[in-house]
Amino acid sequence: MDVKKTFRARVDALLVMSSKEQAKSRGIRQSMSDLHIWAGLLVGWILYSMFLTGTTAYFREEITRYMRPELVAAVPPPAAQVVPRVLESIRTQSPVTTQVSITLPTERKPFASAFWRDPQAPGRGFHNGVFDAQTGQALQVRATQGGDFFYAFHFNFHYMSAIWGRWIAGFCAMFMLVAIISGVITHKKIFTDFFTFRWSKGQRSWLDAHAGLSVLGLPFHFMITWSGLITLMVMYMPFGLQALPSQADRTAVNSEIRFFMPAGKPSGELAELRPLAPLVQQAAQRWGVDNVGAVQINNPGDAAARVVIVRQQAQRISTTPHYIMFDGVSGEMLQSKDSSGPAATTQGVLYGLHLGRFADIVTRWLYFLVSLAGTVMVGTGLVLWTVKRRARLPDSEKPYFGFRVVERLNIAAIAGLSVSMTSFFWFNRLLPLDMVQRAAWEIHGFFIVWAGTLIWAMVRPAKRAWMELFWLAAILLALLPVLNVFTTDRHLLHSLRQSDWLFVGFDLTMLVFAALHAYLAVRTARHRPRAKSARRKGVATRQDAVSLDRLTPGERT
Amino acid sequence: MSGPALSWLTHGAVLLFSLLGFACLALAMIRHQEDLFGAALRPHATRCVRVAGWLLLLLALGLAVSGLGWSFGLTAYSGHTSVAAGLVFIMLVVLNRRRGR
Repeated sequence: MDVKKTFRARVDALLVMSSKEQAKSRGIRQSMSDLHIWAGLLVGWILYSMFLTGTTAYFREEITRYMRPELVAAVPPPAAQVVPRVLESIRTQSPVTTQVSITLPTERKPFASAFWRDPQAPGRGFHNGVFDAQTGQALQVRATQGGDFFYAFHFNFHYMSAIWGRWIAGFCAMFMLVAIISGVITHKKIFTDFFTFRWSKGQRSWLDAHAGLSVLGLPFHFMITWSGLITLMVMYMPFGLQALPSQADRTAVNSEIRFFMPAGKPSGELAELRPLAPLVQQAAQRWGVDNVGAVQINNPGDAAARVVIVRQQAQRISTTPHYIMFDGVSGEMLQSKDSSGPAATTQGVLYGLHLGRFADIVTRWLYFLVSLAGTVMVGTGLVLWTVKRRARLPDSEKPYFGFRVVERLNIAAIAGLSVSMTSFFWFNRLLPLDMVQRAAWEIHGFFIVWAGTLIWAMVRPAKRAWMELFWLAAILLALLPVLNVFTTDRHLLHSLRQSDWLFVGFDLTMLVFAALHAYLAVRTARHRPRAKSARRKGVATRQDAVSLDRLTPGERT
Repeated sequence: MSGPALSWLTHGAVLLFSLLGFACLALAMIRHQEDLFGAALRPHATRCVRVAGWLLLLLALGLAVSGLGWSFGLTAYSGHTSVAAGLVFIMLVVLNRRRGR
C-alpha cells in the first residue's frame, strides 16, 4: 500500500512540475498570441470598415468630383480674384449674412466652396455651396456627400451622434494598437520569414499573407493607428484642458491646434467692407501664390468686421494653423500666426501624417496602396480565425454557434462592404437628380445594401455566400464604367480623348478592383476544404491508438 | 527641369532603388537563395548582396530627402519602401509558382 501511495505522490509531483513547465513554455508569446487573436477579432469587423473607407478617403476630393460628373474642371484664376466674386454672389443671395467662409480652389478640387450663416434663416442658418472659380456664381450640382461620406463614416460612423461614433472609433483604434504590438511579439518570425509565402498550404498560406501584409506596411499601420488616436486625443483625454483655470486658456490652447474663429458680436454700426483682393494679395505674397487656402469674413458690413486669411494645408505636413487677421474696415493687420508650440506641432504633424493632405499624386497613391494592404491585413486576420478553427471542427457540416457568427459576419463585413460601397456609386448615378433628400438616400442605399448582404450571408451556405457576393461586387464594379456611358457624358473613351486623368484613373481602378473580386470569387469556388487531411489525421490517431493498445504496458513510454 | 517633372523623377528613382534594394535583401536570405538557385550562395557572396541591398535603400533615402525635402521625402520614402517590398514579395511568389509547375 505504502509503495503504491508513494508512487502516486511521485506521479502527482511530476504532473504538477510538468504543468508548471508547460505554463512557463506557454510564456509571453502564447499570451500575446491569445491577446492578438481576440483583440483583433472583437473589433475586426468595425476595423475593416474603418480601414477600407479610410483608405478611399485619401481620394476624398477625387471621389467627390467623380460623383459630380456635371462639373467640368477649368483652370481657376488667382485667389485674389476668386474671393471677391464668390463673396459678392453670397451677399447678393443673403445680404444679412454674419459669417462667410470661402475655401479656395486647389489642383485637386478646382472649384471654390463656401459656407455662410444667414441669421434670418430657420435653425442655425448655415448654408453651403460650390462656386465657379471664374464667375463666382453658385454651381448647380447634384446633391451628394461624395467622398466626404466615406471620410466621415471612417471615424463618425452614421445614424448615431458623432461623439458616440468617435468613441467607438477610438476604442477600436486602441484595440488595433494592442493587436499590432502583440502581433509583432507573437510572430517574431515575421522578420526572419520576410518575403516568405507558401502557396496553397491552407492555414499556413493565410498566415503568411497576414504576416506579409502586416510587416510590409508596418511603419504605416503603426503610424496610422497611433496618429488616429492622437487626432482625437483632446476628446479622449480632456483632463489637461479641463484643468486649465479659464475658458480663455482653453481657447488659447485650442487655437494653437486648429483654426477656429467664431463670428463674435457685431457692433451694430454699419461700415463698408474693404475690398478683399489686396488683403488676399498680401497673404499670397507672404506664403506664395498658390498657398492661400481659405478666407473667412466675420460680420461683413459691420464696423467690427474681421477678415481672416488661412494658409493652405497642402504645402506642409503639420495641420497647425497659419493665418493672418485683418480689420475688415480699415484693412489693418491685427494678428498673424505663423507657428505653434512644440506640443501642438507634434500633434499637428501626426494629424497631418494621418490625413495626408500634403501628399502629391504619387505619395497619395502610396498612401492608398499601403492603407489597402492594411485593410487586407485586417481581412486576412478575420478569415484566419475561421480557417484555423474549421480544421478542428468535430462536424464541418454543423459548426458551433460562435463559429457560424464569425463566419457570417466576415462575409458581410468583407465581401458585403465591397458590394455596398460600389452600390453607393450606383445610387449616385441612378437616383433622380431632383429627388428630395437625394444625398441622404445615397447613404441610406449604401446601408440598405450592406444590411442585405448580411441577410444573404446568413441564409446562404457560407462558401456560396462568399462566392456570390464577390461575383456581385465584381459585376457592379466592372459595370460602373459602362453605367457612366449611359448616365453621364464622361465615359472612358471621352475621358481618354480629353486627357481627363481623374475619370480615366477612376474607371480603370474600378476595373482592376472588379478583376480582383472576380479572382477572389474563382479562388473561393475552387477551394476544397481540407476535410480529407482531417480524416486522414483521424485515421492516423485511431491507428496510433490501436498500435499503442498492442504494446505491452512496459513498452509504453 | 520644372518642379513637377523633377518630383516625378525623384519618385521614380526612389521606387526603383527601393525595389533593387529589397530584391538584394531577399537574395541575401538562404531560403530564397535555395528557392531561386537551388542552393545557398557562398557566405561572402551573401554578405555582399546584403550590404548592396542596404546601400541601395540608403541611396533611395538620400534621393527622397534631397529631392522632396525632409518631411515630404521621409513620408514618400516610407511609402515607396513598403510598396517596393510588396512588389518583391509578389515577384518571389510568381517566380516560385512558375518553377513549381
